[in-house]
Amino acid sequence: MSSSADPLRLEYGTPASGLSVVRQPPPAGAASFSATYVGPAGWGFDPKGREGTARIASYLLSSGAGPFDRVALARCLDRAGASLTTECAPESAEVTIWGPASDWRRFLGLLADVVLRPRFATEDLERVQRQMTERQLRESSQPASRADRELFHATYPTGHPYRTFGLGNARSVGRVTPDRLREFHRTHYASGDAILVVTTFASLRTVESTARSCFSSLPERPGPTLPMPPVRAHASRRFDVNLKGRSQVEIRVGGNSIPRSDPLYPAAFLANEVLGGRAQLSRLFQRVREQGGLVYHASSELESMRFWGYWSVGAGTGPDRYEKVLELLRHEIREVSARLLPPTELKEVRESSIGEIPLALETTAEAHELAVETAYHRLPPDFLLRWPSLLRSVTPEEVQLAARRAMDGRTATTVLAGPLSEG
Amino acid sequence: MSPGGVRRPRVKSFVLSNGLRVLLAPVGSSPTVSVWVWYRVGSKNEHPGITGASHWVEHMLFEGSPHFPKGQVERSVLMVGGEINAFTDTDFTAYFTTVPKEHLSLPLDIESDRMTRAAITDEEVARERTVIHSEREGNENWPEFRVEEELFQLAFRVHPYRWEVLGRRRDIEQMTAEQLREYYRRFYGPKNAVLVVVGGFDARSTEQEVRRKFSHLPAWGDDVTVQDVEPPPSGERRSVLRGPGTTPYLQIGWRSPPLNDPRTPALLVVDTILGGESRVFSAGVGWRGRREHPTARLYRTLVEKGLAVRATSGWSPRVYPSLFTVQAQAAPGVALDRLEEGVERAVERLRRDGPTAREMADVKTRVRRGAALSYEGSTSTGFRIGYFSTLHSLDLEDELYDRLLRVSARAVRDAARTFLTTDARAVVRYEPTRGPSDE
Repeated sequence: MSSSADPLRLEYGTPASGLSVVRQPPPAGAASFSATYVGPAGWGFDPKGREGTARIASYLLSSGAGPFDRVALARCLDRAGASLTTECAPESAEVTIWGPASDWRRFLGLLADVVLRPRFATEDLERVQRQMTERQLRESSQPASRADRELFHATYPTGHPYRTFGLGNARSVGRVTPDRLREFHRTHYASGDAILVVTTFASLRTVESTARSCFSSLPERPGPTLPMPPVRAHASRRFDVNLKGRSQVEIRVGGNSIPRSDPLYPAAFLANEVLGGRAQLSRLFQRVREQGGLVYHASSELESMRFWGYWSVGAGTGPDRYEKVLELLRHEIREVSARLLPPTELKEVRESSIGEIPLALETTAEAHELAVETAYHRLPPDFLLRWPSLLRSVTPEEVQLAARRAMDGRTATTVLAGPLSEG
Repeated sequence: MSPGGVRRPRVKSFVLSNGLRVLLAPVGSSPTVSVWVWYRVGSKNEHPGITGASHWVEHMLFEGSPHFPKGQVERSVLMVGGEINAFTDTDFTAYFTTVPKEHLSLPLDIESDRMTRAAITDEEVARERTVIHSEREGNENWPEFRVEEELFQLAFRVHPYRWEVLGRRRDIEQMTAEQLREYYRRFYGPKNAVLVVVGGFDARSTEQEVRRKFSHLPAWGDDVTVQDVEPPPSGERRSVLRGPGTTPYLQIGWRSPPLNDPRTPALLVVDTILGGESRVFSAGVGWRGRREHPTARLYRTLVEKGLAVRATSGWSPRVYPSLFTVQAQAAPGVALDRLEEGVERAVERLRRDGPTAREMADVKTRVRRGAALSYEGSTSTGFRIGYFSTLHSLDLEDELYDRLLRVSARAVRDAARTFLTTDARAVVRYEPTRGPSDE
């Protein structure tokens, strides 16, 4: 698959009017279209004292835009057979529209309305504030989200975008008003430095001209700068959070990691896949679940973002087994850094990662996700085509080095959240 | 394309002499192939003492068979970049493998090998017991899981739908390897299975390969019909659970008709009007969580008015009468009585006045649009074909589509009046006992 209609080969337009347009051909036989706007509006940009603003703004984009109130927008999407999703992350916010391929121009117009002309009605804000308050409670009381929260709190300093999940607290969310939201929107959604990724049969030229017309009100200027306080490495630490009345203890071990632009990223990617990222092929799954029979889930994650990244190992187990599971998790983390990977294991994990590419092209939505990630990290347009050869060039030594740098167990934070005293 | 407006690829169907039903759906442009085996076996076929056996057998089919020793099933699939998994429900157990199309033979070998010859050893059963226990514990951390388990237990006294698919804690602790092997030998076999192959393959050569690999398997598979009939509810049933949580939570269940009941399309419309989108004709059926819809009545009555932070209805029609549910999470500071009154208000209005013309038009638009894009990708296509074929027949999907488009507002009102009655419902309330800072 290397023709000009290959979904793995992206086409980058010329940045103009604060917007970079990226076009991806859809997978063969696809009947749907997808477009995503990515802008510098993540919760790392939350105004001090009004934490939660970015998430609220992101939620409310789908609650009415341009000529449509919330219900009219929902009906309009239904009539078109389209769906709209919004997502907020530490560095950026995304809005995605998906629907029948034939109506793509209309959908791009709708997406622009949603992104550029939200309503931010008072009653919608009040509803989302109530929902945020309940989510804050849930984050504190659910073992899994509480363990994640404590891990990031311990890893990143105050003011760092990766320190929280952008939910704020009751007071900060209560301070958000429609005017404050509009102000945030002006500086972060209508500010330039945005990317529009479109998966469609239409040519790049056609997509660009349609996009320029829909997003013409974006000013041509650089977007805001994300505050990024330095992260200090510290010795390995452990935090126990006893949540009574729960059945399972959630364990997290993790810390700061490398950004996506780091030359070691392909090796770090493979190190994570070996440890716990490649599902049933990974060491954590095989040794903690399949051989140990101790858990239902045990996996690892490496999230390399534009500025930095984080890694974590996670598992859930009963109150009578968590110390034993933690010992096994730590052992496997150490092993990836301490010993060279056997060539056969490296080959298996690498070829599995390469072999799954066709599966990621089954649907427009899945192929589109790859394109959004590639475009957001400003990777070359043929990056996805070159990814297999990048992986094949990684040596066991590089995997070991990457594991030491990107998943450093010596400085890792450990969190246990759940019924600890009941064991 | 199927004739009914559902954009499904053409399906070739045949039955082997051992009873295995085979459905082949070639999609020339697909770079992948997805192989599904659906067994008409689920928690409905269990009994007290072995609840959770279907789910446990689902796990054990990854733990070794003659040509795929323990670990080799997943390993061989992942080595070629494939995806493999399985899931169990009340009425079925489904296994799927999606691989790049040149590796089609691999999942066929796996499924043929483990259809009647899975090695369910004492040692592996003992090890898997803790894994399953852990899966259940993870679910128990969520109040929503505990409430739903309680709701079905409360609503059903006789029918096997009364226990959760994961099984009861005590049964997970005490079930023996021999009981599992007996359950497997009894129900899992070609007579109770549907093999679905979707994606980039040649139909003729694949049919030959399927015949070669599956025809020699013994014609096993006991009757999976459930004889127990749940008597009609004799009044409202209520229960209260307490435990850690955020805000009060509520779930109400009403007895609902089976999938092939003539009133099912009307109740599906009730579900859409009350709770949001209907899963039957939304893309990726069964794969995505339900999203709230701002036109849904529960959303408008409860979430917009500040009584709830989430409110929706849920209904997966099953082989036997099951439950139509409504669930709502209270907004901070809202008591359960007010929340329940709000739910009742929304339901009562639908019972009394039926849906508006606008709502009926909206639902039909969504059905039409959903059907147009419901088949994209070999994995989700394999799911849809297998789901309808296993629970009833592939034709039922077309029939449902046609009947949904013909449902009248009166039929919807009548369905609400017939099924959503206050004197025949089960209600479970969840009262959080402590705040989050209880460590």
